[in-house]
Amino acid sequence: MTVTDYPRLGERLYRQTLPNGLRLMVAPRPGFTRKLAYFVTDFGSIHTDFTLEGRKIQAPAGIAHFLEHKMFDLPDGRDVSAELAALGASVNAFTSYDMTAYYFSCTEHFEQALRLLLEFVSTPYFTEESVAKEIGIIDQEIGMHLDNPDSRAFERLAEGLYENHPIRIPILGSSESIREITPELLYDCHRAFYTPGNMILCVVGDVQPGQIAQIAEEILGSHPRAVGQKLRHWEESMESTCPETALRMDVAMPMFNLGFKCEHPGTGEDAIRQELIGDLAAEALFGESSALYLRLYEQGLIDSSFGGGFETIDGMAMLLCSGDSDDPAAVRQAVLEQAEAIVRDGIPAEDFARMKRSALGRRIRDLDSFDSTCFRLCAYALSDYAYFRFPELYEQLEAAQIQEFLRRVVRAERCSLAVINPLEEV
Amino acid sequence: MIQTFPLLPGVTLRCCRDTRFRQGCLSLQFVRPQCHEEAALNALLPTVLLRGCETAPDLRAITNRLDDLYGASVGTLVRRVGDYQTTGLSCAFMEDRFAMAGDEILAPMVRFLGQLLLQPVTENGAFCPDFVAGEKKNLISAIESELNDKRAYAMGKLLRAMCKADSFGVPRLGTVEAVADIDPQTLYEHYQRILCSSPVELFYVGSAPGQTVAGLLKDMLSPIVRDYEPLPGQSPFHDGGGSHTAEPAEAAQSVLCMGFVTDITCACSQFAAMQVLNTLFGAGMTSKLFMQVRERRSLCYAIGSGYYGSKGILTVSAGIDREQEQPVRQEVLAQLEECRRGHITEAELEAAREALLSALRGVYDSPGSIESYFGTQLLNGAFRSPEQYRDEILGVTMEDAVAAARTLRLHTTYFLKGAEK
Repeated sequence: MTVTDYPRLGERLYRQTLPNGLRLMVAPRPGFTRKLAYFVTDFGSIHTDFTLEGRKIQAPAGIAHFLEHKMFDLPDGRDVSAELAALGASVNAFTSYDMTAYYFSCTEHFEQALRLLLEFVSTPYFTEESVAKEIGIIDQEIGMHLDNPDSRAFERLAEGLYENHPIRIPILGSSESIREITPELLYDCHRAFYTPGNMILCVVGDVQPGQIAQIAEEILGSHPRAVGQKLRHWEESMESTCPETALRMDVAMPMFNLGFKCEHPGTGEDAIRQELIGDLAAEALFGESSALYLRLYEQGLIDSSFGGGFETIDGMAMLLCSGDSDDPAAVRQAVLEQAEAIVRDGIPAEDFARMKRSALGRRIRDLDSFDSTCFRLCAYALSDYAYFRFPELYEQLEAAQIQEFLRRVVRAERCSLAVINPLEEV
Repeated sequence: MIQTFPLLPGVTLRCCRDTRFRQGCLSLQFVRPQCHEEAALNALLPTVLLRGCETAPDLRAITNRLDDLYGASVGTLVRRVGDYQTTGLSCAFMEDRFAMAGDEILAPMVRFLGQLLLQPVTENGAFCPDFVAGEKKNLISAIESELNDKRAYAMGKLLRAMCKADSFGVPRLGTVEAVADIDPQTLYEHYQRILCSSPVELFYVGSAPGQTVAGLLKDMLSPIVRDYEPLPGQSPFHDGGGSHTAEPAEAAQSVLCMGFVTDITCACSQFAAMQVLNTLFGAGMTSKLFMQVRERRSLCYAIGSGYYGSKGILTVSAGIDREQEQPVRQEVLAQLEECRRGHITEAELEAAREALLSALRGVYDSPGSIESYFGTQLLNGAFRSPEQYRDEILGVTMEDAVAAARTLRLHTTYFLKGAEK
């Protein structure tokens, strides 16, 4: 197991790839009571097309999320939530576009809870009956999402920006697509992507790293298994497919998502550098200390719900801002003009130094959150990067890189605006 | 663990010194009665204070100051604790030891907080009219945006219907009409009044010694002339009668909310038993409601219960199909009946106890959870340290939980009727 110290952050990270291929990371937190474990697979809602043992599989939309729900069933009527609850551990899971994570937090009985986590996520058990029953539950979850203007706006934006990338399709799938899911398809997905070689185990807390490695090998076995090959037919031009879409919902005032298509940064250190550049570009353009934010806020075109950043998902990236506004088109126009101004006039050295210091400080503060630290360690590991190295990268960034990013990305042809308008008065 | 420093009459600092964190936090809350006359004023006040002060007269100057302090943050804090509404500011900032050599964060942060509080931008003896007009618009849109989250919206409607005669029915942020009526002069006068008379609770979590923080804050607060007026204590639920309402909505999903009342409040010895009962009945992934309504009958995705100890109110809410209102309502009541009859397994009881204990053990693991635990406990009129509370939970027996269930009675329901399937 390799041990790396990051003295500027007061962090230490234990890392090991086990013989079965599982990537293990442990960030110790001596003196803390809480322990958090994430067990993550590099498989999300966009990975519906893949090959497994020479077979090509095209799974229905929403299968990764459906699988996440069904992993909590164990054979012999065992109830894993109840078993974990008896240990005082609270367990949960989420599915994103490009990963599925199972996690628990506890203050005692950590090893027993870890064993249960590894056991249930590596034990597929699906029946016709249990699949049919889950459809009713997920249908309600889909209904809840249909009433959520934030997720609807983002889904509309994704459709407006992308022609082929499956971010166009909601993570939950649709009421129709989930009805095509069968136990066999769930077993296929599990066999393809829930193998240790496609997974990460990350623990934050006052724990023994060596013991965790031992438990993981004991439960998941020592031998590597084949991983499904994802099929990515996601070629995209950098032009948006639709500049503007609008939808009416029962909301109090218009809200919007404004996005600009970006090149996917790839993996490794350079990718993380691109992400930090994207983050700082968002700060410089429309962050709370930007000239634009102040102007729009004082004009009443945005309010404190406004925010944005740089998002990357397997195969795509976007610069994004969102919020409530009476005039989203005016916000779009102001963003385009402000980017031009920054490209033309540059960022004063003093402002850039302040921005970097602020971004660095916020990331350091964020390390107090077990959840955020665990999530970021996993997400960056999927990009083959050790998250705790971020301070070095910030130091290397230059204002010219931000300008270059804005020059390339913030252009009308790369842009899409999704608006949710209130219902018309009857 | 918590040190208390009286700074001025009615102004108290509590310090939790802890060197494990990378950030410190400091909150300041004026404690007010939760009432219709003040709710909107108290909600608007901190947003106006955060628009500018003499030394940082606009938003950009404020964020620049915070960016210089390594991305520190100052946010508004408006809470409901029983009959009280608190209003104030809350800061989070990196610990000095992570800054570059020679840079300080805590001391300039406290000075800046003082400038925001005591040197606001004024015009003719009132808050800056532009700031007030802008923040009124924002607050009104925040109140109206409650509609965007249908489950929270329905829960708000339930509590307002249940608590017609109680302060708990006063909307936390006030009403649109009350916000619209505020002018810069009224708000400024209200602020001057609460600055000198209101109880003030300050809470610090971080690595600095309590004496150091008390010294910094004493300097900061020294210009205030106090004429302290203590508030009346917390009161039990004032029952103005229940109701059963349904309201149509443009939504794919319907939301059923049910409100129960009990005589058990946080001031009672059975409080821990009611918390355990609530947890096994409806809070969490192993509760009766989750296991029966969602897992066994597939009637919903989201269902849960919550217990408001300051008033003795227990609520249930579920996102469901419109046609399933009656089955869900009956199943919720049937599960409560199971609890009343003692049909609770040892495993259910143990899981509920463990969930609560686990949360309590974790209170000291983040500055935010320390602040919010003590910030609330110190005001609810029945203070329990995490250690005392833990001992009470450990003492809850099956009989205690069943007895707690027997005190609950259905008071009010609210059904937000979405589209037909």
